[in-house]
Amino acid sequence: MSTSDAALIQKIVQRDESALAALYDRYASLLSSVLNRILRDTQAAEEILQDVFFQLWRNAAQFDPGRGSLPGWLVVIARNRAISRLRRHNPSEGEELLETSVIVPSNLESAVVQQQLLGRVKGALENLSADQRAAIELAYFEGLTHSEIATRTGDPLGTVKTRIRTAVESLKRTLSP
Amino acid sequence: MNGHPTRPEDFDLYALGVLEGEEKAAFEAHVPTCAACAEKLAEARGRIALLAFAAPLVAPSPAVKERLMRQIHAAPASSGARVPQRAPRDVERTESFFGRWWPVAVLAPVAAVLILVSVRLWQQNTRLIDELGEERATLQQQQGQLDEARHIVALMEAKDTISVALAAQPGMPKGDVRVMYNAKMGMAMCDGWVDPAPANKSYQLWLVPKDGKPISAGLIEPSTGPMKPWTVKLPPGVEAKAFAITLEPEGGMPQPTGPMVLVGPVS
Repeated sequence: MSTSDAALIQKIVQRDESALAALYDRYASLLSSVLNRILRDTQAAEEILQDVFFQLWRNAAQFDPGRGSLPGWLVVIARNRAISRLRRHNPSEGEELLETSVIVPSNLESAVVQQQLLGRVKGALENLSADQRAAIELAYFEGLTHSEIATRTGDPLGTVKTRIRTAVESLKRTLSP
Repeated sequence: MNGHPTRPEDFDLYALGVLEGEEKAAFEAHVPTCAACAEKLAEARGRIALLAFAAPLVAPSPAVKERLMRQIHAAPASSGARVPQRAPRDVERTESFFGRWWPVAVLAPVAAVLILVSVRLWQQNTRLIDELGEERATLQQQQGQLDEARHIVALMEAKDTISVALAAQPGMPKGDVRVMYNAKMGMAMCDGWVDPAPANKSYQLWLVPKDGKPISAGLIEPSTGPMKPWTVKLPPGVEAKAFAITLEPEGGMPQPTGPMVLVGPVS
């Protein structure tokens, strides 16, 4: 049985480099995928990927597994950084650590669960209409707000808001345990 | 908004990043003050984070991990560790100091100058440390690129590296892809071209082992011209029977489900 994220974090606090390597092996592909999808620039994606794990190494003592999920936090931080890079804005590291608590409705430590989620998320998005899916992808992968999506698609702001709200409700139903 | 968000979806909308203006400001003003809403936001962040799984699979280059491990190895040993609480210093007796006040008048201007000089030196030192850190990061990045180039050269020079040409299958999109693979190194380098994939579909490269199930070697994103060569990290020690490219749902699959577009048996 593989070592839990919480145990690996504890080892990182004790400066065990192999523990960081183990967490990297567990989650780097997921983060790499989302970073490449957002940035469409392999070098930039790899820089952020390395930086996120280096931040984990430096600040592991401040991460409290009881406050949330490590892979969820890693994804949120990686996405925030990628979108900030697109928008040329630098978020504060301290702000990220202290304020970003993430509770994921599944145990992502298991590779099997990750594979199952891959299918579930793809299925949930396929259940949306093409317009809803496009709006969610513009928000998640390009970091656009309601009005920016309306500008991009040429649709009225109210239509975009309704479309995203309906899509989010649908995703919430499908992805909740 | 001084009270709770009125609509439950607001948490997911905030986590998604679409709220703006007054809506966003009101949300941000309330949530830090309310444990229940902070918990709901953490759950919403977790749901929205799952959308990461919708991104097409892209395995990072092995060089990233190597750079990371070198970076943490070079980092100061104390960084990140819990900082032990320092024991309070003993309170020094001050009676005799005030009793002998006159040295203060003499030493105060000297102390002020010393403080000014110290602050200046500290500022210069901080700037130098920052510059050194930037130089070190650049050096590490260049070292990583150099290491990757060395791996590619090692792959190309190794006697046990095999070259596999993948040929288009009848009735399938056209393409011509070549894979250089070294089982011992667990590394492949690919180049070539393939016609654009149909809408909502992705090309996925597979290592077909002599024993066991196919192993994904990542997605292929065709461009209008020849694709840039790319490297793939694979589990080391897997003897290949063939390499194949299949047409899969967008984002790829854990195991091949679609038709084979290009196939190259290992001779």
